[in-house]
Amino acid sequence: MLKLDDLSKHFDGVRAVDGLSLEVDQGEVFGLIGPNGSGKSTTVNLICGVLSATRGKVTFKGRDLHGLPPHRRLNAGISRTFQNIRLFGELTVWQNVWIARRDAPGREAGFIRNWFGSSARTREAIEETLVFADLAGRANDLAQNLAFGEQRRLELARAVAARPDLILLDEPAAGMNREEVEDLRQRILALKHDGITVLLVEHVMELVMGVTDRIAVLNFGKLIALGTPGEIQGNAAVREAYLGSPDSESA
Amino acid sequence: MSEYAISIASNMGMIAFVALSAYVVLVVGEISFGQQAYFGIGAYVSGMATAMWGWPFGFALVLGSCVAAIAAFAVGALTLRLRGLYFAIATLCFAEMIRLGLNSIHVQVEIDGEPVGPDGAEGFGDIRWMFEHDVTTLEYMFIIYALLGAVLVVLLLVERSNLGAVIRMIGQDPLLARSQGIDVGTCKLLVIVFSGMIAGLGGCLYAHFATYIEPNVFNVMLGVHALAYGLIGGLGTALGPIIGVVLDIGFLEGVRAIQGYRMIAFGGLVAILLIIMPRGILDEVRIHHIKRWLRRQ
Repeated sequence: MLKLDDLSKHFDGVRAVDGLSLEVDQGEVFGLIGPNGSGKSTTVNLICGVLSATRGKVTFKGRDLHGLPPHRRLNAGISRTFQNIRLFGELTVWQNVWIARRDAPGREAGFIRNWFGSSARTREAIEETLVFADLAGRANDLAQNLAFGEQRRLELARAVAARPDLILLDEPAAGMNREEVEDLRQRILALKHDGITVLLVEHVMELVMGVTDRIAVLNFGKLIALGTPGEIQGNAAVREAYLGSPDSESA
Repeated sequence: MSEYAISIASNMGMIAFVALSAYVVLVVGEISFGQQAYFGIGAYVSGMATAMWGWPFGFALVLGSCVAAIAAFAVGALTLRLRGLYFAIATLCFAEMIRLGLNSIHVQVEIDGEPVGPDGAEGFGDIRWMFEHDVTTLEYMFIIYALLGAVLVVLLLVERSNLGAVIRMIGQDPLLARSQGIDVGTCKLLVIVFSGMIAGLGGCLYAHFATYIEPNVFNVMLGVHALAYGLIGGLGTALGPIIGVVLDIGFLEGVRAIQGYRMIAFGGLVAILLIIMPRGILDEVRIHHIKRWLRRQ
């Protein structure tokens, strides 16, 4: 469903992503891991169109995304969460979800009505999304007044509300405690159950190993391993990337 | 009402237009130091329309605000890629360009043996529509407030709407807004055009109230005040800048006893508010609480 082909991004000679090719299948939870600075976030930004590739291409559902700006990619079916929580803090929880699930102009409610209200169906969908994220009681609170975990859930709710085919989760478990991670794991499985493909960039191995179908490991912008969680755990190259080679250890 | 009270009230009403126009640009996340130019454009164009070409007042208002809106469109389209400080400087430069341009424009026609029209730095006098049509200052004040009320109603309606939410989203985090499928550039441009139109309308009213205008009226201090009104009154609602105007012109200038200290008090007020309430008295959070409280009642 999502195909990266020789994808590369160079920043002034630094090869953040270097000739990355991989394919994510429909309906799977795909993990993307690697040490700090290995190019995971750059890859996410390339898929979302926040950055444009130096070389190579991103194909989504058979369509080359080259030149498609970020706001069009959302309509194409790709939504995301951010590594640092990004919400519209001075707007309500409801509005933060609404922006992702709003009626398309001229489609569901008519252009003018769209701007002054939402169709009943949309309102219902927003309520549902808020229930999914356990935020139903907080719809009218300002997003900045939510607790950390709630803000993370609101980000997820927003990503889900866009009715994407693919969700990119950029380190969603950062700063979470065990319980919250387990809660997040359940939610990701629920997404999978609904047929949404998930690309999970994560450092919290407990989550990655417990929820993904396949994992790709990056190091210095290159793919060094690809396989099921079990295969990755036993992979020598991956261990070396994370822990350093025996030589560098003694140095 | 005494003539003095009428003139203070009329002034408040007319300056409120510039304040609102600076406010809408602030809400969409940019600081414009150039809103006074649209006010000036509106004043000059509408003045020329009635005094030189004998147009009816209503048409002059429409023409003045439309020309100001077109100017705002041009400035907006050129500065769309600029952000923050760069946007502020670009708008300031544009406004100064307009002001200096007005200083060297001489377009006059002879009416009843007298030359009428903009005469460079000498200004543009004899915009006598009010006298020719026996409109009293009190009646004129009602015209100002009727139009201001109309603009306010539009702004408050938009603020309640989804469109208003989108505009605030752009102001808070344009990149996030973009990633949510909002066409940030087009929205910003629309807001800037609308801001030009509001300021232009205020300018039209001003020209016919003052009957004499000169380029220096539309200098950067007017723009700075316009910005300050929003920052004092609050950026959470269109009523914010109105509060700012009332505090400054209504109170500091209107009360004769403290008139002489106006600029000192005004500067101090802005400084204190920026420290303790950076987004003004009625900021987004306070407005949220007020709305909630109203809903519970």
